[in-house]
Amino acid sequence: MGSEGAAGGVDDDATDAPPAVELDGVTKRYGDTAAVDDVSLRVREGEFFTLVGPSGCGKTTTLRLIAGFEEPSSGTVRFSGESVAGVPPEDRDVGVVFQNYALFPHMAVGENVGYGLNFADPPEGMRCNERVAELLELVDLPDAADRDPESLSGGQQQRVAMARALAPGPDLLLLDEPMSALDARLRERLRVQVRRIQSELGITTVYVTHDQEEALAISDRVAVMRGGTPEQVAPPRTVYREPSSRFVAEFVGDNNVFAGRITDLDPAESDGAARTAGVDVGGEPLRVAVGGTGDTDVAVGDRLTFCVRPEYLRIDEGESRVRATVASAEFLGETTRVTLDWGGRDLLVRTRDPLSGEVVVGFDPQDAHVIDDRTRVTDDDL
Amino acid sequence: MSDASRGPAGDAADPRRTRTLRDRVAGGLRGRLLTALALVTSAVLVAAFYYPVGTVLIEAVVVDGVPTLAVFAELLRDPFYFGELARLFAGEPPLAVARGLLSPDRRLGIVGFTAYQAALSTVASVALGLPAAYLLARFEFRGRRTLRSLTIVPFVLPSIMVAVGFVATFGDNGTLNAVLGALGLPPVDLLFTLEAIVIAHAFYNAPLVARVTTAAWESVDASAVETARSLGAGPLRAFYDVVAPQVYPAVLTGAALTFVFTFGTFPIVLALGGFELATVEVFVYRLVRDLNYAEAAALAIVELVISLGVLLAYLRYEARNTVSSRGVRPLPRKSLFPESPSVREVLPRLGLAAYAVVAGLVFVAPIASMVLASVTGGDGALTLDHYRFLIDRQQTGAAFQVRPWPAIRNSLAFASAATLLALPMGVVVAVLTTRRYRGRKLVDAAAMAPLAVSGIVVGLGLLRGLVFGVEIAGWRFAATGAVAIVVAHAVAGYPFVVRTVAPGLEGLDRSLIESARALGASRARVIRDVELPLVWPGVVAGAAFAFAISIGEFTATVVLATGADAYTMPVAIERFIGRRLGPATAMGVVLLVVTGLSFVVIERLGGETRGL
Repeated sequence: MGSEGAAGGVDDDATDAPPAVELDGVTKRYGDTAAVDDVSLRVREGEFFTLVGPSGCGKTTTLRLIAGFEEPSSGTVRFSGESVAGVPPEDRDVGVVFQNYALFPHMAVGENVGYGLNFADPPEGMRCNERVAELLELVDLPDAADRDPESLSGGQQQRVAMARALAPGPDLLLLDEPMSALDARLRERLRVQVRRIQSELGITTVYVTHDQEEALAISDRVAVMRGGTPEQVAPPRTVYREPSSRFVAEFVGDNNVFAGRITDLDPAESDGAARTAGVDVGGEPLRVAVGGTGDTDVAVGDRLTFCVRPEYLRIDEGESRVRATVASAEFLGETTRVTLDWGGRDLLVRTRDPLSGEVVVGFDPQDAHVIDDRTRVTDDDL
Repeated sequence: MSDASRGPAGDAADPRRTRTLRDRVAGGLRGRLLTALALVTSAVLVAAFYYPVGTVLIEAVVVDGVPTLAVFAELLRDPFYFGELARLFAGEPPLAVARGLLSPDRRLGIVGFTAYQAALSTVASVALGLPAAYLLARFEFRGRRTLRSLTIVPFVLPSIMVAVGFVATFGDNGTLNAVLGALGLPPVDLLFTLEAIVIAHAFYNAPLVARVTTAAWESVDASAVETARSLGAGPLRAFYDVVAPQVYPAVLTGAALTFVFTFGTFPIVLALGGFELATVEVFVYRLVRDLNYAEAAALAIVELVISLGVLLAYLRYEARNTVSSRGVRPLPRKSLFPESPSVREVLPRLGLAAYAVVAGLVFVAPIASMVLASVTGGDGALTLDHYRFLIDRQQTGAAFQVRPWPAIRNSLAFASAATLLALPMGVVVAVLTTRRYRGRKLVDAAAMAPLAVSGIVVGLGLLRGLVFGVEIAGWRFAATGAVAIVVAHAVAGYPFVVRTVAPGLEGLDRSLIESARALGASRARVIRDVELPLVWPGVVAGAAFAFAISIGEFTATVVLATGADAYTMPVAIERFIGRRLGPATAMGVVLLVVTGLSFVVIERLGGETRGL
C-alpha cells in the first residue's frame, strides 16, 4: 500500500482518483459538545482504514456519519467524490457490522445473510440462495444457513454479521468494534480472517476499534483519534515509530516520553542528514537525533520532547545511559516488561532476563524519536 | 481487485448515481407512508374522540350561544358536588372551610366522595397487590408463570360481570352469607356499602399493581444487591437501599393508574353502590339521562381535569425515574417451601399463606359465586332455570326486550371490528411515541387521553355528534349506533395496544434497525421486516386487550345502545340485573365463556407465526 515516508499528521494522497470516502471539515455536535470536530479524512479505494482511539474520541460517531445513521452538523461526506448529504443509509451501498453483531433474532442465519438481497440483486447469474451459500462459505460457516443466530457462538455470530454485510456487494464495509466482545485468542484469529476476506474482495473498509494493537495489526492506514479529531493519519509502522504527538506516542504501544531543554546541537549538515542534540532531562544529559519532520528548526535552549520505545532501552548499552532501580516487573512470556524508577519517573524496559535492584539502561540517539510537542501540550498529557 | 467478486453495486460509480437519485424520490414516498398512517390515525381520533368529546364539553361553557363560566361557577359552589370545599369556591375564608373539613359531620360532596373512594381503592389495591408481587418476583413454585399470566385476567373481565359476581358473593343471599349461616354466624350486608365498592376496585386493580411491581422487581440486578451485601448491608438494608428504590416507581405507576381508573369508575358503582354511593361518573350519567347536558358537561370537565392532573403528574414522575435495565441478572427465586425451619424462612411464607386466603376470597369467590348462582334456584337447589330463561327470552322476547343471542352476536362483531381498528392505530402511535423528536410528550399525552376521559362523555359525544349526525358544508354525516360503538371501543382499546407494543419497540436494539437500513431496507420496510416481527407478542397481547376491552365495555355502549338494538352482553346483563340475579348471572357466565374463548383464539392466531 501507500508510502511510509509521510510521518506527520498530513495525509498526502498523490493519486488523482477521488478517494472512496472523504470527510471534508465534518463536525457533529450534540448540544454544545462536538463529538466529531472538524474532521478531514480520505479513505482510498480498496484500503483497510482504521479509526482508533480511547472511548469518547469520536471514532464511532465518525463511522456513523459515513454510514448515514447521523448527518453532520457541518462539513461534507463524499463517496467517490460525490456528496452523500441527505442520502439515507439504505441508499449508500455500505455494509455495517456492529459490536453486538445485531443479527435479526427472528430470522435463521441464511435469512439474515440474504436479507440485503431483498434490495440489491446478487451478482449476475447468481440466485439469492447461491449468494448466501457463497458468503457463508467465505466466512467458514458453510452449514449454518438453517441455524438460529442465538445458537451460534460469539465468533460465529460475528462472521455471520460479516457475511450479511457483504452479501449485497457493498462499495464500503464499515466495522464498528466488531471483535471487542470476544476473547483475546479468538479476536486474533478473527482479525486475520477479516483481513483476508477484505483483501480477497478488495473492498474499501473503515474499521473502528479502541484496541491499538488490533489497529496496527490489521490496517493499511490508521487514524489515531482524540477529542473528536484525528491526531495522526498514517500507516501502522509510521504511527508506531514516528508518532506525531505525545498522545499518539503514549496511546499506541508502550513508550517512554522525555521532555527537556536542548543544551548543545551539532552543526547542521548541508545534505540535511540527521544530527544529534544534547538534551538535559531532569539533570541527566541525553543525546537525541534531530532532523525529522517538525524538529528541523530547533535551537539551543528550546524545549524538546522525544520518546524511546521500551525495546530500544538496553541494559548497560547505548550512548545515553541512566541509572535506575527496578520497581516492578510483568512476565509476558517471551519478554518481561520491567518498570524502572528513575528519580521518580517511570521507565519501561523489555528484557528477556529477570532484572532486580539497580540497573543501568541506555539508548542510541537514532533510537529516540522527537515529537513535535509545541502545538499540543496540556497538563493532562503528563 | 476483480469486479466479479464485488457484486453488482460495486461495479461502477455511474449506475449508482442514477440509482441514488431514483431511490431518493422513492425514499421520500416511503417516508411519507408513516406520515399518511399517522394522519389517518389522527383523523380517526379526531372524528371519534376529540370532536365528540369537544362538542359535549363545549356545552359547559357555551349556553344559548353565549360563552359563560356560570355553569362552572355554580357547580364549584354547590356543596352537593364539592362538599365543604364548595364554601371555599363560594368565597368563604379558607380557615373556616378547613375547620369544616376537620369537623366530624363534614360533607365531601360527590367529587370529594369520588376522590375519597378512589384513594381508598388505591390503598386497598396496593395492599392487595404488593404481596402478590413479592410472591411472583421472589419465589419459585409450580404454576408461577401461569399465576403471573392470570394476573391480567381481572383487568380484562367485563366490569358489569364482576359486579354481578360481587352481588352473588356479598349480597343478602350471596355465598358469603351462606357460609356465615352454615357456621352459625349472623349475616352481613355488604352490598351498597363503600366496602363492597372498594373491594371490587381492588379486584380489578390489585393485579395491575402486582404486574407492574413484579416486572420492576424482576429487573433488579442481583449483582447490585450482592454489591450492597458485600459492602456490609444486611438483607433488609440491602432491600431498603437497592431493591425498594427500583420497585417503588412501579408501585407508584400502579397506584396512579388505579386512582385514575377508580376515579372514573362507573359500572361497579352503578351496580354495587346505587345512587346513594354515586361517583362523578354515575352523576354525569344521571344528568345525561335527565337531558341536563350543560351540568353533565361541566361535571365531566371537572372529572377530566382531576384525572388528567394525576396522569400528567405521574407521567412527569415516570419520565424522571425510568432507568433502562439491560442485561440484568435477576435475583434468584427462593423455593416456596422453606429449606430450614428458621423464623426468617418461615415467617414470610406464613404471611403469604394468609394472603392467599384473602386473595382467594377477593379474586376467586366473585367468579365462583357467579357461576354457582347461575345454577342455583331460589330454594338453593341446583337448577338450569336461569339458562332456560335466557333461551325462552331468545324465543319469545318482545322486540323491545333484550335478547341473549343478538347481544352475543353484537359483542363479538363489535369486538372484532374494534380490534381491527385499534391494532393499526395502536401500532402507529407506538411507533410515533418511541421515536425521538420535539413534542413527542405531547403526542403521547394526546394519544393517551382516551384513558382519562369519561366513557359517558365519549358515548354522549358520539351519540350526538355521529349518530344524530353532523352537517359539514351542506352534507349530513351520520353513523349508525353500531358504527359509533365500534369506533368508541377502538378508541378505548387502542391505548392498550400502544402500551403493549411500545415497550418492545423501545427495548429494540437500535443496531438491528441500522443494520437493516445499511443492507438497503427503507424505514417503512424495517418496520415490516424487523420491528413488527420482534414486537409481535406485544401486538398479539394488544389485540387480546383491545378485544377484551371491547367485549367488556359498558359505559359508552350503554349510552350509544339506547333505543337502538345494538346492545351487547354487558348491556344485557345490566338489563337483567333489574329483576332477579339469576338470569344476570347466567348471562355473566355466557360472557365469561365467550371472553375466555376469544382470548384463547387470539393467542392461537398470534401464536401460529412463531409459536408464541
